[in-house]
Amino acid sequence: MMASLMDRLRRRLRAWARRGHGIASDPIILSGRRIYILPTRLGAAFGVMLFAMFVGAMNYANNLALALTFTLASLGLTAMHYCQRNLAGVKFSSAGSEPVFAGQQAKFRIAVENPSTVPRLDIAIKNDHSSAPPVRVDANGRAVLEISVPATRRGRVVLDFFQPTTVHPFGLFRAWAYLHMPLHCIVYPRPSERAMAPPPLETDTGGAQNSVKGDEDFAGLRGFNPGDPPSRIAWKAYARGQGLHVKVYAGTAVKSHQFDWDALTGLGVEARLSQMCRWIEDAYAAGRAFGLRLPGLDVPPNVGPAHRQRCLTALALFDGAGE
Amino acid sequence: MSAVPVTTRTRHSPLHLSRFALHLLWVTGGFLLAVLPHLSALQWWVALLAAVAASWRLVTEIRQWPFPHRALRVLIALIAMAAVFATYRTLNGLEAGTAFLVLMGGMKLLETKTPRDLTITLFVSYFLLFAGFLYDQNLLRLPYMLVTAWLLTATMMLVHQASPMSIAEALAKTAKMLIQALPIAVLMFLFFPRLPGHFWALPDTSKASTGLSDEMSPGDVSELSVSGALAFRVKFDGSVLPPPRERYWRGPVLHDFDGRTWRRARYGYVQRPLVATGDTYSYRLVIEPNQRNWVFALDAVTGWPRGTERTSDYQLVSPGPGITRATSFALESSTAFRTEGPLPKSMEVADLRLPQRRNPRSIALAKSLRESAGSDGEFITAVLTKFRNEEYFYTLEPPRLEADSVDDFLFNTRRGFCEHFASAFVVLARAAGIPARVVTGYQGGEFNPMNDYLIVRQSDAHAWAEVWLGEQGWVRVDPTAAVAPDRVEHGIDSAISDNEFVPGRFFVRTNALLQLRRAWDAVNTFWIDNVVEFGNDQQRSLLQWLGLHDPDWQDLGIALLISFVAFFVAISAWLAWQFRPRARDPVVRVYDALCKQLARGGMIREPHEGPNDYLLRVVAQRPELAGQIDEIRSLYVGLRYGRALLGSQLASQLSRFKFLVNQLRV
Repeated sequence: MMASLMDRLRRRLRAWARRGHGIASDPIILSGRRIYILPTRLGAAFGVMLFAMFVGAMNYANNLALALTFTLASLGLTAMHYCQRNLAGVKFSSAGSEPVFAGQQAKFRIAVENPSTVPRLDIAIKNDHSSAPPVRVDANGRAVLEISVPATRRGRVVLDFFQPTTVHPFGLFRAWAYLHMPLHCIVYPRPSERAMAPPPLETDTGGAQNSVKGDEDFAGLRGFNPGDPPSRIAWKAYARGQGLHVKVYAGTAVKSHQFDWDALTGLGVEARLSQMCRWIEDAYAAGRAFGLRLPGLDVPPNVGPAHRQRCLTALALFDGAGE
Repeated sequence: MSAVPVTTRTRHSPLHLSRFALHLLWVTGGFLLAVLPHLSALQWWVALLAAVAASWRLVTEIRQWPFPHRALRVLIALIAMAAVFATYRTLNGLEAGTAFLVLMGGMKLLETKTPRDLTITLFVSYFLLFAGFLYDQNLLRLPYMLVTAWLLTATMMLVHQASPMSIAEALAKTAKMLIQALPIAVLMFLFFPRLPGHFWALPDTSKASTGLSDEMSPGDVSELSVSGALAFRVKFDGSVLPPPRERYWRGPVLHDFDGRTWRRARYGYVQRPLVATGDTYSYRLVIEPNQRNWVFALDAVTGWPRGTERTSDYQLVSPGPGITRATSFALESSTAFRTEGPLPKSMEVADLRLPQRRNPRSIALAKSLRESAGSDGEFITAVLTKFRNEEYFYTLEPPRLEADSVDDFLFNTRRGFCEHFASAFVVLARAAGIPARVVTGYQGGEFNPMNDYLIVRQSDAHAWAEVWLGEQGWVRVDPTAAVAPDRVEHGIDSAISDNEFVPGRFFVRTNALLQLRRAWDAVNTFWIDNVVEFGNDQQRSLLQWLGLHDPDWQDLGIALLISFVAFFVAISAWLAWQFRPRARDPVVRVYDALCKQLARGGMIREPHEGPNDYLLRVVAQRPELAGQIDEIRSLYVGLRYGRALLGSQLASQLSRFKFLVNQLRV
């Protein structure tokens, strides 16, 4: 009852903050005006203790007891300022997100930068679904925090808000801000169960593929590019100190799968996408080449993580055109 | 992305304790420090239980023992509470409350598993510190309490830190915050209106303390005389002090004698009007806590503040159960006085009564002396002459007396302290038919020229006699003065022979130490007057000093409000300055200043532009700056991205770089 009331209040405050401050830019330097601060439960208990001390000191007309009470109260007020300042001026920016499959947690990375020469302590980030443990951001330092949103459906999942928060220095006050920074994460379809066998391997006719590339005969070395499979790296050459090179093979007999939307008749859109997702994952894991054919999109067979990502993203963002 | 590395630190404590264990250690330490000032007042078993609980919990943590079973913990706690209740008969009083808090803290430690539990123990420790001040507002307590509060607060920071933090850092940060918090704390102390009266009745604090009691047996006062503790201080208005032999500070008056012990009267007396006949002195008396309600006014008090009362024995008593903290009284006294009217019959009977079949030789002596004397006055002179001329000695270590204490003293031991002489004199006077009584109090006092206070110590405790002489009424007779005139003229030190222990004699004989003692006393007096006793009057004069003509409590509120606003503005501004965006690297800082200056000239650095691109663009835009900008560029790139330089080289390049940037006019 109490909790739900607090929850509703928090929602109202968040909506109000959104109206007031609008969508946050990326990166954003948190201004003091966006920061809210309230005593924590511990802070309230501290306040009750101070009040009891105050009444006692007044009753005994004891000046030193009163002085102790006032000192602790002043310390509390100072702590309030420190708490707010700990958050103000900190720079938040997105640090990317890795695509996930539907049903997993979409992870958003937020970079926290401290532009001042004073360390910021115990800065945490949370949203409705998760929270990142507090970190210390040293003077002119940077930390990356991760929060997640459950990715229920394929497509894009949006982190519509996150909440930087801190209870530094004593846990007596909590300062926080609502940042509405629209960050996206690609959500691949959920891979279906391994029920349907993938379409059989086809021998590549070579037309779609670089005729110079192949698997059969060693044709020489070329410089390493990110994304090249580790198995092709010329380790011996590397060991000789010649730098990273990749062995290039020539030849034709490349076998690949062709995952075709139209071949999966009798299934709904999402089921087809899930099935293709499963096939892509299995083929990728086995190191086999695959191509993808969707209505309005034809990805020629290829291998490697970049290819996988391209295909899965196509599945994720497939909008059913051509149905 | 910037070149600054991601910073997440891990630190390990040198003891290889887990973070929680370390926190527990600090919390326990803080708790024990908070208990320490209470040790003397606590029941031994309370302190023992708390110490055992604390060490048990620490060993549990280090050895990874299992926690005591919950039922056992509850049982121990219940027994402890019951024991506190049985001992103190209440949980409300200061002593019982303190014992309760100490036990609660100890029991809480036994089940401490989370930061929240640690915090509760910290709060209990804060409260114990607070209670410590209720016991004693001694100046020396303040630094101890402040340091303990500092440690407790640093521990609180440590406990509530999710990312690891070193103890040194917590202490440094907390010290900084405490110093920043202190000004507003002082202002609150100065301006917060002191509410009159009490919210609830003050519990009786029956703490044993040195001081006069309401009865007197042989040896009581001499026992007191070995204490150098302060009894009270007196500041006289004007520069004239009563001469030492007239400094009699009146305490309880004793009437009932059972042959050994003198006690106060069990029934009320009729107040006889008192007429001042001598010099009148007005003064302020600051009395140390003595748990009694006696105000030792200069004999005889003629003016006293409202609330206090003069009894029929002319003793001044304060309201309430007892003086539990240093309290000051504005008084007026006259050193010579006379009582009007006849002595009421009931008083006469009471002050002539002697225990039956006790001290027969003394009674016989008194009767024979009275017969040979022409009047009561002559009888008194005869007795004093006897004390002076015969072999009677004034000593701090009188021999033990037999059951008939006065007989034994007068005819056998002949050695005594003031209470022996006063007691013997009153018995003799009563036996001779003169109403007489014993007055206890203090006599003398040491003048401190540093702050013009007269210091009266427990060693100045004294007992003398008063006799009723018809027309004159009550007349003070000090038989000690007959035996040892130095006692009343120069204090106890000069009246006691050198081979006896007298407190403070060491100080008095060494001038430097005497000065030191007086300086310390002056500091303490200042402390009591301005801090411990700070109240409405002082607040009033403070506001008047600030320029207000007729200040009232509303002005206090306004002053308080102004203080708060000033504090909030100051701390906000200071923190904003501390936390301003600023590069730590001086090279980057100068470069930032350069960018800012160029931006003012209309050449704003794009976020993607490095120093080369940006500054080349600047040169292209403003060719006249080419020479300076090019040197700045090469210096900056070298300093920031080049090889690490030696100290002297670095310094010279950096200063050249700074100089060029400062010289640049866009």
